[in-house]
Amino acid sequence: MKLLKDKVAKLSFVALLAATSASMLYTPTAAAHGEKSQAAFMRMRTIHWFDLNWSKEEVKVNDTMTLSGKFYVFSGWPETVDKPEVAFLNVGEPGAVFIRQGSWIGGQLVPRSASLELGETYEFKVLLKARRPGDWHIHAMMNVQGGGPIIGPGKWTTITGSMKDFVNPVTTLTGETIDLETYNLENTYFWHALWYALGLAWLAYWVRKPMFIPRSIAIESGKSNTLITATDKKVGMAFTAGTIAIVAMAMASTNEKYPITTPLQAGLLRNMKTFEMPAPTVTVKVEDATYRVPGRAMQMTLKITNNGDSAVRLGEFNTASVRFLDSAVLEDTTGYPDDLLAEDGLTVSDNSPLAPGQTRTVQVTASDAAWEVYRLADLIYDPDSRFAGLLFFFDEAGKRQMVTVDAPLIPVFI
Amino acid sequence: MSASQSAVRSRAEAVKVSRTFDWMILFTLFFVVLGGYHIHYMLTGGDWDFWTDWKDRRLWVTVAPIVSITFPAAVQACLWYRYRLPFGAVVCVLGLLLGEWVNRYLNFWGWTYFPVNFCFPSNLIPGAIVLDGILLLSGSMTLTAVLGGLAWGLLFYPGNWPIIAPLHVPVEYNGMMMTLADLQGYNYVRTGTPEYIRMVEKGTLRTFGKDVAPVSAFFSGFVSIIIYFLWHFFGRWFASTAFVSSENI
Amino acid sequence: MAATTESVKADAAEAPLLNKKNMFAGAALYIVFYGWVRWYEGVYGWSAGLDSFAPEFETYWMNFLYIEMVLEIITASVLWGYIWKSRDRKVMSITPREELRRHFTHWVWLVMYAIAVYYGASYFTEQDGTWHQTIVRDTDFTPSHIIEFYLSYPIYIITGVSAFLYAKTRLPTYQQGLPLQYMVSVIGPFMILPNVGLNEWGHTFWFMEELFVAPLHYGFVFFGWATLGVMGVVNIEVQAISKLLKKDLA
Repeated sequence: MKLLKDKVAKLSFVALLAATSASMLYTPTAAAHGEKSQAAFMRMRTIHWFDLNWSKEEVKVNDTMTLSGKFYVFSGWPETVDKPEVAFLNVGEPGAVFIRQGSWIGGQLVPRSASLELGETYEFKVLLKARRPGDWHIHAMMNVQGGGPIIGPGKWTTITGSMKDFVNPVTTLTGETIDLETYNLENTYFWHALWYALGLAWLAYWVRKPMFIPRSIAIESGKSNTLITATDKKVGMAFTAGTIAIVAMAMASTNEKYPITTPLQAGLLRNMKTFEMPAPTVTVKVEDATYRVPGRAMQMTLKITNNGDSAVRLGEFNTASVRFLDSAVLEDTTGYPDDLLAEDGLTVSDNSPLAPGQTRTVQVTASDAAWEVYRLADLIYDPDSRFAGLLFFFDEAGKRQMVTVDAPLIPVFI
Repeated sequence: MSASQSAVRSRAEAVKVSRTFDWMILFTLFFVVLGGYHIHYMLTGGDWDFWTDWKDRRLWVTVAPIVSITFPAAVQACLWYRYRLPFGAVVCVLGLLLGEWVNRYLNFWGWTYFPVNFCFPSNLIPGAIVLDGILLLSGSMTLTAVLGGLAWGLLFYPGNWPIIAPLHVPVEYNGMMMTLADLQGYNYVRTGTPEYIRMVEKGTLRTFGKDVAPVSAFFSGFVSIIIYFLWHFFGRWFASTAFVSSENI
Repeated sequence: MAATTESVKADAAEAPLLNKKNMFAGAALYIVFYGWVRWYEGVYGWSAGLDSFAPEFETYWMNFLYIEMVLEIITASVLWGYIWKSRDRKVMSITPREELRRHFTHWVWLVMYAIAVYYGASYFTEQDGTWHQTIVRDTDFTPSHIIEFYLSYPIYIITGVSAFLYAKTRLPTYQQGLPLQYMVSVIGPFMILPNVGLNEWGHTFWFMEELFVAPLHYGFVFFGWATLGVMGVVNIEVQAISKLLKKDLA
């Protein structure tokens, strides 16, 4: 009866473990990001992302999409963040929901870290292959050594299908095509299981006999030499020699099976190709800039001079990935994420075409809930109260030019 | 009154009680040591252990044995000198690997979906068996430290090579050569873990050409000897049964 | 007085030396509870735990944090208070059999401590690694921290201190003073919790990359070593139980 009871107890214990493990493997869906935590000055004064394009909004498992665009490495880079001398083009996504099939800066593949120059613009592209179904927020992202992750804009992307169907075929230089998703898995399980079993066997040899209390009593009473028998020593010798033999044989057979192996590849990529933006013919001087806390609006007084040969209008102010547009000049047709787009968020006191050779001082207001939602308003709590951003001007032919602004910001509380 | 003088009613009951304690002690020792060893190992050598694109010929081979010989040395110091039980190293490593495998499977794979072939742990068992074997055969802390410590370092890389060699097969990828392990690190995005934090392979002197791993293993074995001594004495201290007066604390 | 002693003896004769039911029920409690926690992480980690500024984060994670903290303080107060309040004031005069029974109960506590330490120091600590290497840390109270630091660590602290208090209040062995290694094995891992202060300070100031072997984390390593104090506890216990069994085992 007692035996039966013990068995029931043991079985229910096993069932409990199984149920618990099963619950641990539950597959959830949906997600978002983490960029709002980053200090506003970090997002405004480090990497400026623009011309972003997510090639698809819905992708099937195994299909690909690209995230491409440009980024400007801000010349007024803040002192508290290390310069991007070692930087890695990353993707902000919740785990490997997409695998990164390729990523390029200026046409060069960047599987490793690269060195970027302040004041330069780079073109980038990331090729992503869908792996795990769900609605995911996919961000452009740059990691900077000594600065941490600098997250760019993110867009919701839906992956449909089943992760079970995902494959990641790769052809090696030895001519073999493998599926990297499952490659070497059985081999890994085999060796770990074998060695774990040998370890357990060693333990089992010793725990099958009474352990702590009798052995402690024997040692206390001076009989420690009786505790290790000749058989124990033989077993010990067999395990030790056997282990060394298995390691040696396994090593030899592995080398025979994989005669060609190479070390891990590492090293910094330098001299990345920059993207030449047309030289701006417009100059902008920030006379003053304030952030009105109650109105969630930033106001700048800009003195704009047009040194070109065509009249220009201000179409966009872009800071920390939020785009404030004057819809009379520019409308977004790229499907930029709604939450980062203020389609009518830019008001210019006089945005009539500024003729060549003319100078005009204007009041520019950038207002949108994004200041709060994206916690850019927290700029007033930063230790270095400056703002920065990109201004995009358009001439009569629609040609665009980019001008950067970088100036102190005064908060207005009343 | 005579009943109160003996805790058990028969020799058979005494044997059973002693055996029951064996299991409870072993269970507790196994899981508490597992907890301590795991937190120690993951925070001193964890990154090399988590990902295949960290398992290189230089630093993984050097760091992993040095930081992992600690708990085995300490637990051997208790189990051998107090009980003549030569499984201190194996019990530690079995615990550590159980903790790691449960976590890699249920969390790295089960929660964040990294393939297991990318985030499996390093194999430490060959070194542990040999360390215990040498202690049993020699009965000497010094010999175990010198021979066992050296073996611990030397056996690490060959003990893992059959598992990782297939991942060191080269591949040409968009015009660059990399190993399959590098490709795993590149394909399976770790948002919070950029490439540059990898501490692998970067070194200027490659005098020994492709034979970097044996040099690293030899150096690692040397440091493992020293760490073994140090941790043996830590182990003795942790195994002490001293009581202190409450006035002293 | 005599009658009381007799009744104690009679009860003692009835009760088993080791209450296996309690042990398995205790183990099941931890495993089922943590199974549920892992399920909760799986579901609400992804759906509500990635953006600490979102309202659902407050609902599913910050509220979880507040509730667990209150429950932990209540549990610790009640449990420790009860063990202390119901202490045996005549602990030196118990029978050897009762002493042996209490050693078994003490070991049930230690088995629970082992389970709690495993979940805290191994399972949830390395799990925190995979979460932070996967997502971008945007608060001190990430979902994995809310579970690791503020749930699994307090639980092993509560369990460890309970085991210690049980030994101190009910076992003659522990009346000779304070067992050094027992304190190391309970207080050391406890110190991992205050060490979270160092961890968060570092991560908040420098927004470090998620390098697990960063020196900032070595405080956890140092206090993790203290778990080895369990060897001292084993040795004290083996000596004490040996005294009780020596004659009969010979």
